Amino acid sequence: MTTATTSKSSGGTQPLLVGRGITKQFGGLVAVDNVDIEVGPCEMVGLIGPNGSGKTTLFDCLSRVRDVTVGSVEFDGQDITGKRPHKVAQLGLSRTFQLLRVYPALTVLENMELSVQWRDVGLASLFRRSDSTTRDQADHLIDFLMLTRLRDEEAGTLSGGQRRLLEIGMALMSKPKMILLDEATSGVNPSLVEQIKERLVEINRRDGVAFLLVEHDIRFVKDLCERVVVLNYGAKLAEGRPDEIMENRDVIEAYFGDSGSVAT
Amino acid sequence: MGILGSIAVFVGVAAAIALTLVGLALIPQRVRRMVGIGLGAVILVGLIVLPLLEHTTNSELFTLTLLLTTVGVSINWNLTGGFTGYVDFGHAVWFGIGAYVTGILMSLQTNGLGIGWPFVPSLIVASGVAAVMAALIGRATMRLKGPYFSIAMLGTFVAMREIVRVSEPLTGGGVGLTLPPYQNRPLFYYVQLGLVVALLLFTWWLRGTRFGSTLVAIREDELGAEMRGINTTRNKVAVFTFSGFSTGLFGGLWAYQNTFIDPDIAFVEVRTIDAVMGTMLGGLGTVTGPVVGSAFLFLLRELIWANFLDWHLLIQGLLLIGIVLFLPKGMIGVLDPRTTSISSLWSKYFGSETVDVHTGTSVMDALEDDDTTAMAVSADEVAVSAEAEGGQ
Repeated sequence: MTTATTSKSSGGTQPLLVGRGITKQFGGLVAVDNVDIEVGPCEMVGLIGPNGSGKTTLFDCLSRVRDVTVGSVEFDGQDITGKRPHKVAQLGLSRTFQLLRVYPALTVLENMELSVQWRDVGLASLFRRSDSTTRDQADHLIDFLMLTRLRDEEAGTLSGGQRRLLEIGMALMSKPKMILLDEATSGVNPSLVEQIKERLVEINRRDGVAFLLVEHDIRFVKDLCERVVVLNYGAKLAEGRPDEIMENRDVIEAYFGDSGSVAT
Repeated sequence: MGILGSIAVFVGVAAAIALTLVGLALIPQRVRRMVGIGLGAVILVGLIVLPLLEHTTNSELFTLTLLLTTVGVSINWNLTGGFTGYVDFGHAVWFGIGAYVTGILMSLQTNGLGIGWPFVPSLIVASGVAAVMAALIGRATMRLKGPYFSIAMLGTFVAMREIVRVSEPLTGGGVGLTLPPYQNRPLFYYVQLGLVVALLLFTWWLRGTRFGSTLVAIREDELGAEMRGINTTRNKVAVFTFSGFSTGLFGGLWAYQNTFIDPDIAFVEVRTIDAVMGTMLGGLGTVTGPVVGSAFLFLLRELIWANFLDWHLLIQGLLLIGIVLFLPKGMIGVLDPRTTSISSLWSKYFGSETVDVHTGTSVMDALEDDDTTAMAVSADEVAVSAEAEGGQ
């Protein structure tokens, strides 16, 4: 699929996504406060923090859904701070949404196919119909994400967990270099969480897709990520290996308000 | 034809349509498509032969030409309103612009401003002007979403009518313009019939292309489409521009046949309302919906107008309420295999279950289809085993 790089080390190589001094203000509220963030190629980084700590807003800034107030975003060596979202997606930065965004009236297959429609730009798109290559790719991903039975169902009839899988599939259709995954497990039952986890690891290992994931499920982050960034009140509170973060007093305090230990 | 006779005709037509729909809904999808194409072909042949018959009068042909105009405008409206989901309440503005630019160019001589243009070049320039204006105005108004866009377009429409009214040297102001008369009803009839058929085929083609799919994506979730690499601004403005161009074309054709235009007949709200209602009645975002719906509405109004002049607006209003309440997907939408069946129609409107309006599936269906219960059981098991792993 993507340019598969098997090495998992990000040290030495150019980082894929770089956010520098990202600040986002809504009126008087500073939702994200001067956050630096880096994700290397093939890396899986977790982004955690209590409710309202600015995780999704940071995601919105990185994926260009929102303009940053101050700061810059670079992806794959290019400055994307002022680019339109579809350009960013075309560069290979996909994302999923906390509040799901599938096309409810279209079938699962159509949803998948629609995620690569930009490949025919301009007038060509008027003359291109859906081709068998796209369909095969979509079918393959639908199988991979265990949605085969639902291929021709309208996405609006899917359960929450199935929609999450569909969104991940849609993000994968365009063969991205990196996926911003916003709460892949919220509202998903535990058996499906395990399956999603397996699939994500496989995508990462096999295709070299990098991930930045917002997550409430600490165990999920611990299993997947080599590095975790913690936000609190919009500012970066800590960064490090998951086990270090679990021991970090500031983090524990931010989550629990006292110095109890994190129950896993 | 007396009032009772009209009512009988109306009831008969409504019953025939209802029966056809029920009949179509009961047969398998593939056969249904063949039957639909067959019916369409028969009607088309009938429309082609009609002017050749001896007792077809010119006024009947003119009425049919107006019907084709309504149908054409509805198809154009459906491209933005139905496929792309931008409900345009000022669509008639492109019609008026097409009519006025044609009128101005052709009547330059009578205004003493130069030499009047022939019809065909005037028409081409007029549609071009409508397209350029649609591109410029669309670029601004399509930043707005939902009702805000609708209201902005309504404003554009009203503003344009007043601009035309005050630009007297060019447009003749409130007095209007007289075009050189040219009476050839069959010619216009055939031209518009050809245009409508071409537009219908184009819509059908567009629906299957990638560009067409991106329009549906924009309707379903614009931000999602943008985030998945679709240049939403370009695509929606492109379809809006085409829609403006094509409606301008019908406007120009209408102006020449009418031989007289003034701001109040070139820019008239009813033209938009007809397109919206016709498309809704036929089925929003379907290929044949606008044709079936607006043709039905047109004929119905001819009938109501002729017999219940005082009541026709009331009847039309009740009809609109009826569509929204009982036929949210329109006549063609009912036939869509993915959305509904006769049985679900029954449970939808006469059953007591809770129904999702958008999908037409009942909550009970969803529960039966989903293996939620199986999931819940295995979920518990996994939770237990995960707990055990965590403790190690």
